[in-house]
Amino acid sequence: MSTPVLEARDVSMVFGGLKALKGVTLTLEEGKIVGLIGPNGAGKTTFFNCLTGLYTPTTGEVLLKGNVLPGDPAKVTDAGVARTFQNIRLFPSMTVLENVMVGRHVRMKQGPLASLFHGPAYQRGEKAARERSRELLAFVGLNGVDDELSRNLPYGDQRRLEIARALATDPAVLLLDEPTAGMNPQETEATQQLIFRIRDTGVSVVVIEHDIKFIFGLCDSVSVLVQGELLVEGTPEVVRADPRVVEAYLGKPPEEVQHDVEAAAAAEEEQA
Amino acid sequence: MSTVDTSAKRSALAPFGKPFAAAGGVLGIVAALLPWVTFVLNDGNWPDKSTLQFFDAPFLVTGFRWHVLLLGILVLVAAFAPIPSRGRVIRALGWGLTLVSFVNSAYITVKGGGLGAITALDGATAFGGVVGLVAGVLTILAGYGIGIEPVGEWKFKISTPVAYLVLLLSFGAVLYAVAAMLTTGGVGSANPYAGAIFLSFLGFAAGVLGALSGVGYVRWLSALSEQHRVFSVIVLAACALLLPFTEAGNEYWMTVAANIGIYAATAIGLNIVVGLAGLLDLGYVAFMGIGALVAANFSGAATAYFGFDLPFPVAAVIAAVVAGIFGAIVGSPTLRVRGDYLAIVTLAFGEIFTRSAQNDIGGFTNGSNAIPGVPALSLFGAEFNKSISIGAVKLPAGVLYYVLIVLLVAATMAVFANLKFSRIGRAWIAIREDEDAARAMGIRTGKMKILAFLIGAMLAGLAGAVFAHKNGTVSYESFKFLESVTLLAAVILGGMGSIPGAVLGAALLFVLPEKLRDFEDYRLMIFGLALILIMRFRPVGLIPDAHRRAEMVERADENAEEAHVEAKKA
Ligand SMILES: Nc1ncnc2c1ncn2[C@@H]1O[C@H](COP(=O)(O)OP(=O)(O)OP(=O)(O)O)[C@@H](O)[C@H]1O
Ligand SMILES: [Mg+2]
Repeated sequence: MSTPVLEARDVSMVFGGLKALKGVTLTLEEGKIVGLIGPNGAGKTTFFNCLTGLYTPTTGEVLLKGNVLPGDPAKVTDAGVARTFQNIRLFPSMTVLENVMVGRHVRMKQGPLASLFHGPAYQRGEKAARERSRELLAFVGLNGVDDELSRNLPYGDQRRLEIARALATDPAVLLLDEPTAGMNPQETEATQQLIFRIRDTGVSVVVIEHDIKFIFGLCDSVSVLVQGELLVEGTPEVVRADPRVVEAYLGKPPEEVQHDVEAAAAAEEEQA
Repeated sequence: MSTVDTSAKRSALAPFGKPFAAAGGVLGIVAALLPWVTFVLNDGNWPDKSTLQFFDAPFLVTGFRWHVLLLGILVLVAAFAPIPSRGRVIRALGWGLTLVSFVNSAYITVKGGGLGAITALDGATAFGGVVGLVAGVLTILAGYGIGIEPVGEWKFKISTPVAYLVLLLSFGAVLYAVAAMLTTGGVGSANPYAGAIFLSFLGFAAGVLGALSGVGYVRWLSALSEQHRVFSVIVLAACALLLPFTEAGNEYWMTVAANIGIYAATAIGLNIVVGLAGLLDLGYVAFMGIGALVAANFSGAATAYFGFDLPFPVAAVIAAVVAGIFGAIVGSPTLRVRGDYLAIVTLAFGEIFTRSAQNDIGGFTNGSNAIPGVPALSLFGAEFNKSISIGAVKLPAGVLYYVLIVLLVAATMAVFANLKFSRIGRAWIAIREDEDAARAMGIRTGKMKILAFLIGAMLAGLAGAVFAHKNGTVSYESFKFLESVTLLAAVILGGMGSIPGAVLGAALLFVLPEKLRDFEDYRLMIFGLALILIMRFRPVGLIPDAHRRAEMVERADENAEEAHVEAKKA
């Protein structure tokens, strides 16, 4: 078996007395999409924060292509793990294009002197960064808004801009924290297609989402996190059928959830 | 809350909008032609013969009455010409009329003995001020009646040569305005009414600037000048170099303008730290002090630490480097502390600097005796503080310093602009906006913040080196907390992250005290009051940075959206 592109081994995170994560292990094979679901407060975002170095896990380690990731978000991004945030965190008073160009930061070589004197090499670098950023904006479907301030974009577009900004760092792994929160069904559908297209460019993806229909239709494998513990892991079919998931995840009577799940399956078949 | 207020006002005033504007404009013109004082004041004629006894040529308007006339005409034009955001423009002009009328009337009343002086006394009448005030208030109400719409947006693009012409003319006008601002009211105490004349002029300038900004011109121009950055800097520098040939071309104003320039250059450096990287620095002037001390110690002054003198360019570079090193040291706590805590660290550093300089720690500062006798700069035998003549034109003393400082300001501007539109500038702004998100984008925030401190401090150190030679004496007294705060105020007042803003802020803050000598004890109070008013009514600063402006927009819509998302999740 080849080395997985991303591997979290036995990651635990304790806040004071609260065990937010209890030995979570997750494996992401290259070119796959993994879903992470679980009730509110299960520790999904905390897990992302541990993966990206924003938090230092109490125990455990995270490996990218077999190498242990450093505990610094900037270095993690440099190594090839990019993310979006659950509560959109764009740079509100920068333009759309500038936001994406900030994403290019880590792949640009300009030092202070080049930035000061704007020589020919600098100009070339800027031009390349601008072009790549425009490409990415077109890729996520944001056209003609380069010079708008990011805060003025509609909600769904802000989410897509965040994805473009993350992609600008040329990641091997993309972590998406609730990418469809607040979107209407059309936008959600478009986002699903976008994530497939991202996967097709060779980026492996981990997605957190509450919308199980969305997750089951999107992912190659799904992990269920409940109260900081990995409950089930497997293909959508396996997870969907697991009674513990049905019970623990939504806390609803099993029949009702079963109904939801069936509806999701039906919708999926419709698509196919 | 404020939106509710204005909409209520608008609904009640809506039918009166245009009639009030028309009346305000006409009354403004009438006010300009009326006498303003019923008798000659003790200190002599109220400026420009607006005293009744001298009102022999009512149609020969000059001085502030010329401003009132102009504002009246502009109100009429704005009321009937097809312009965007009419309400905003008219309101600004109304404020101009009100301020000019109020300053003059109030001053006459205080200086000349009571309200009789501006109404009727001994059979003489002088209702110019009252009519002007009424015109101003009517015009402001007219603005609300017409409705305060968003600032006009000019969508059209123009070709490069036309853009150059527009920039040239606009900056020329700025030069004229600056020269006028410097010279209104004359030099020092030569004119007994200098302070009032100056304030009245500021009222006029504020009205016109407000109207230009309301109609969308300022925003359009600043976008245009950002597009043509290099050309703009060159033209601005050229315009500044022409100042000695205007009315302001005498030794006094050259000195004042040079001092403003030094602080403007420093303010631009501070703007990197505060405006771009978003790090509050309350001890910034210490870096200027360090630069000045280094330069003084290498200048060959009698009490200098080193017994030899270095050529100025070398000393200046050393000054910048030393200041930069201290900047990096002061910046290093930014790795650990954020926000208010960082402000406290910088405050403490500023205090440490003053105290050690006062006590001559290390023997570099000569304590409270300061380092006097720093020699003036000279180039090819021409001393910078002497007057020079080019051909037949004799230029005032201090003009060479002025030129040097204009070049310094232009260089700092170029540094600021180039950095702002670079990988590093974007990283700074990203840190200012959201530090965690910036780190998640791979930005080494610690390094970047220290770099901001380092570059900012170097610019301040450079300005300090020029300061040392220009003033001849370097004392810790010049680099105290008040100066740091004033610099910070200049940056915030002008508009954070904006270059023209920093220059305008520095110009206003360092010229005002000069102009308000009249008011002596009230100087700081007026100063503080003006700051509070500006921050209340124009929190983005006088010439805001395009990005910054948007940030200050109400966050209501965002909150609504968040609520929506929450609701959807539940
Ligand atoms: N920095 C922190 N300090 C203390 N407790 C924290 C911190 N971050 C998260 N927690 C706690 O850890 C738990 C898991 O939170 P987390 O945000 O990871 O949940 P989540 O699964 O992302 O939930 P949601 O679906 O609502 O986004 C919660 O109880 C939260 O209060
Ligand atoms: Mg979460």
